[in-house]
Amino acid sequence: MSLLRAHGLTAGYGPVTVLNGIDLEVNEGEIVVILGANGAGKTTTMRAVSGTIPRSGAVEFDGHDISRTSPDAIVRHGVAQVPQGRGTFPELSVEDNLRAGAITRRDGAGAVAADLQRWFEQFPRLAERRSQRAGSLSGGEQQMLAIARALMSRPKLLLCDEPSLGLAPLITKELFEVIERLNREEGLSVLLVEQNANLAMHMASRVYLLETGRIVASGSAAELSADDTIRKAYLGF
Amino acid sequence: MSVPFTLRSGGPGSWALRLAAGAVLVYLMFWIPTQASNGVIDTCITALTLMAAAMALNLLLGYTGQISIGHSAFFGIGAYTTGILVSKYGWSPFQTLAVAFVVAFVVGALVSLPALRIKGVYLALVTLSLGLVFPQLIKAPKMEWLTGGARGLDKTGFKFTKKNPTYEIFGWNPWGNLRGENVKPFLYWIAMIIVIIVYVVCRGVVKSRAGRSLIAIRDNETAAAVMGVNLAVTKGLAFGLSAALCSLPGCLSAIRTGNVTPDSTNLTVLGAITFLIVMVVGGAGSLWGPIIGSALYVFVTDRTGDWSDKEAIPAVLRPFFGWSHTPPGSGIFAVVLIALMFVAPFGIVGMWHRVIGRFVKVVPRPAGTGTIDAPATAPAEA
Amino acid sequence: MELFLQRLADGLSQGSVYALMALGLVIIYRGTGHLNFAQGEMALFCTYVVYQCGEWGIPIGLALPIGMIVGFALGAVTEVALIRPVAKKSPFAVFIVTLGLFQFLNWLDGAIWRDQPLPNSGVGSVQQQFPSLFPSKDTDFITIFGADIKLQSVGVFVLVLALTGVLFLLFNKTKLGLAMNAVASNAESAKLVGIRTNMVLMVSWGIATAIGALGGVVFAGINHNVNLTLMFTVFIYGSAAATLGGFDSPGGAVLGGLIIGVIENMAAGYADEWVGQQLKVGVAFVVIVVVLLVKPSGLFGTAKVERV
Ligand SMILES: Nc1ncnc2c1ncn2[C@@H]1O[C@H](COP(=O)(O)OP(=O)(O)OP(=O)(O)O)[C@@H](O)[C@H]1O
Ligand SMILES: [Mg+2]
Repeated sequence: MSLLRAHGLTAGYGPVTVLNGIDLEVNEGEIVVILGANGAGKTTTMRAVSGTIPRSGAVEFDGHDISRTSPDAIVRHGVAQVPQGRGTFPELSVEDNLRAGAITRRDGAGAVAADLQRWFEQFPRLAERRSQRAGSLSGGEQQMLAIARALMSRPKLLLCDEPSLGLAPLITKELFEVIERLNREEGLSVLLVEQNANLAMHMASRVYLLETGRIVASGSAAELSADDTIRKAYLGF
Repeated sequence: MSVPFTLRSGGPGSWALRLAAGAVLVYLMFWIPTQASNGVIDTCITALTLMAAAMALNLLLGYTGQISIGHSAFFGIGAYTTGILVSKYGWSPFQTLAVAFVVAFVVGALVSLPALRIKGVYLALVTLSLGLVFPQLIKAPKMEWLTGGARGLDKTGFKFTKKNPTYEIFGWNPWGNLRGENVKPFLYWIAMIIVIIVYVVCRGVVKSRAGRSLIAIRDNETAAAVMGVNLAVTKGLAFGLSAALCSLPGCLSAIRTGNVTPDSTNLTVLGAITFLIVMVVGGAGSLWGPIIGSALYVFVTDRTGDWSDKEAIPAVLRPFFGWSHTPPGSGIFAVVLIALMFVAPFGIVGMWHRVIGRFVKVVPRPAGTGTIDAPATAPAEA
Repeated sequence: MELFLQRLADGLSQGSVYALMALGLVIIYRGTGHLNFAQGEMALFCTYVVYQCGEWGIPIGLALPIGMIVGFALGAVTEVALIRPVAKKSPFAVFIVTLGLFQFLNWLDGAIWRDQPLPNSGVGSVQQQFPSLFPSKDTDFITIFGADIKLQSVGVFVLVLALTGVLFLLFNKTKLGLAMNAVASNAESAKLVGIRTNMVLMVSWGIATAIGALGGVVFAGINHNVNLTLMFTVFIYGSAAATLGGFDSPGGAVLGGLIIGVIENMAAGYADEWVGQQLKVGVAFVVIVVVLLVKPSGLFGTAKVERV
């Protein structure tokens, strides 16, 4: 069953239109990867889905029409976003950042505390710095924090914009393992933007190829990498 | 977008319009002191005072984007310079104008020193506190020998005696009877001259090379610095000049009423706020904005001045204002000000340009000789 | 020594009022980066409301909460109806709107309650003086180290400390406080974690104005009456306090207010000839200028607060 479905999604910045009516679908339990060159509109797609920029077209999430819903309400529907460039709260402590991530939850302080514990165990570097200001973390640490913060809301769908940016290869691998495990064990659906095609294709259920605001190809990871022209032009391996 | 008419700036059409408008203004200028009642002349002097102050402030805020809510202090410096020199040292009021100009310029330039590092609303905060301190400084015990403390000074105006001449031009006397019977037209002319001086200076500055650097500073400081504008000097001069010009209507107020007190409205923060408000309502960053705003303000406050008495309110408006214990002028203006921020941030002049733009296309002069009347961007950054 | 203690007490109780004003300014500043020039006049309006309640025979214990609720509503409505729509255009427009609101409220107070200090016992008012929250007769004092400290001063000081404690809990232990801190830190990201930023800003303005209302009522109590110019200087002292403490630091605002109250009273007391009652307000001017020049972020603010 499809969790997120966008149809004819058009969005841009002021007078500039970046996305020209794209169709996109994420089914429950899928990890969907968006690939594309720099400036293709991947981040814009994420923003259009999360409602942080004006958009038109149909966007449906979990049976609700969210095309006119404000970003904060979309989060409450169960969509969490890890924005490109992290967007943590620099003046707040690491722990408060995580608590802010859980601010929409209604399942009680105990459950939130348990999740906090869980992510601190997952990311021990964050645990060591739990009362430090987020602004004083290293870039990679902030990236971990941003992901953990998004997960604190217990989303149904995680929008992840280049989570590997600035992370050491080992950490990236670990991170993707975490995402895969959440997907496998808890049915978390993921819409992932990733430059590292090789790595991303590995875990993708399906892939969209974006070029200057249009989807030029889509299909399973196997299908796309089987297509020679696509592989040479876009995937670079 | 096509518009019905085209007007070439500097062309014959535009000159004809300017001449017509100028003729109306000159006619009014002479009609008021010679034909109008003393009450009307008095109201006009009030308006002229406010115009000069608002124009002076506009030079600073409208053109350099520095916010001041303390120009009442410079107004006060003018009033007290005249007051002290006339009442304590027997100067002629006219001579004091020059002294006030210099004193206010120096003080203004001094205030501009911190303003080099403090910007936007923080500068507003600094100037606001300056405006609050000024009347208190006047009242301070240590200053009393000079300023007369809270009681203020009197006999600060002209001494009219039987010996004063009465000037007539072909049996026509626009200056008033200077033998002390009717001096309103005389005061009117002083006010008018001050307004003209302030206008000419502002216009000269704005249309000069220096003025273009002011506007460059307002729009983008870094870019201005790159273009070779000396920020510190330009800002300091602008602040000093604005303060100096604002002191002139202060002198006028001392001459006009013959006394100076630290608590009269224009010397307090409420006065400074009024300068700011009429300027923004008229149109910040345009030469005529403050003039129109002031005229409108004085018109409204004058017309509604006695509305604290229910009977004085026109019957149609009585249900709206009948409950008020004070005249509604400043309240109405505050509402207009807020409403303008929603629809026309550049005030009445900005609105006028927009409306006119629908009907008449004004073709600017070739680059380099062009004039800048309507600012293209917000006048200030906070 | 007695004189010193008395001046200290007076300074602390007046400083408490400044602290309340500064708290309101800081709460709004943190959320939106705007300096609310109408803060004092909004508080004044609520203070008049409390006066009016007194005229209707409502005891101060009930009138104060009414005034604060009116303040909350006034602040919230102002943010939604006036500030938010123009904030998109330019910070200058917001500044002008707050200034217009200043002028409007000052006029409105006069239009409703006339321009004479109130209560004006005998002339249209039943109250003898503005209701004080604490015992304020000449005989209501306690003696500490030989100094007679007014009970009112003690009460006001304790009240502000208690309020500071409550606000500390609000900011640090509640979801609302967390949301307010998050919005202050990064409004865009706050939306992305599901915080209703509009709601938070509205509530911030509400709380700020309610606190301002409390400050106005306390100050009118100390002053024995309410009048149209009551809050001018309080506002500038409050601004000085916020500048000193740092515009994004609530704790700094409280401390700044107390420090300025004490400096002001000491200066007026010990440098009687030079400062005296008239030039007390010069203290605010000097503090604002010096802090902005030397350490623009204030004592406890973060350097993020950009002032240059
Ligand atoms: N805030 C903005 N204002 C105006 N244009 C923008 C803005 N953000 C992005 N753009 C433009 O939109 C286009 C798509 O940008 P987008 O950020 O979506 O690219 P991307 O696919 O995420 O690239 P990258 O891989 O570099 O992150 C670009 O041409 C960019 O210039
Ligand atoms: Mg991107």
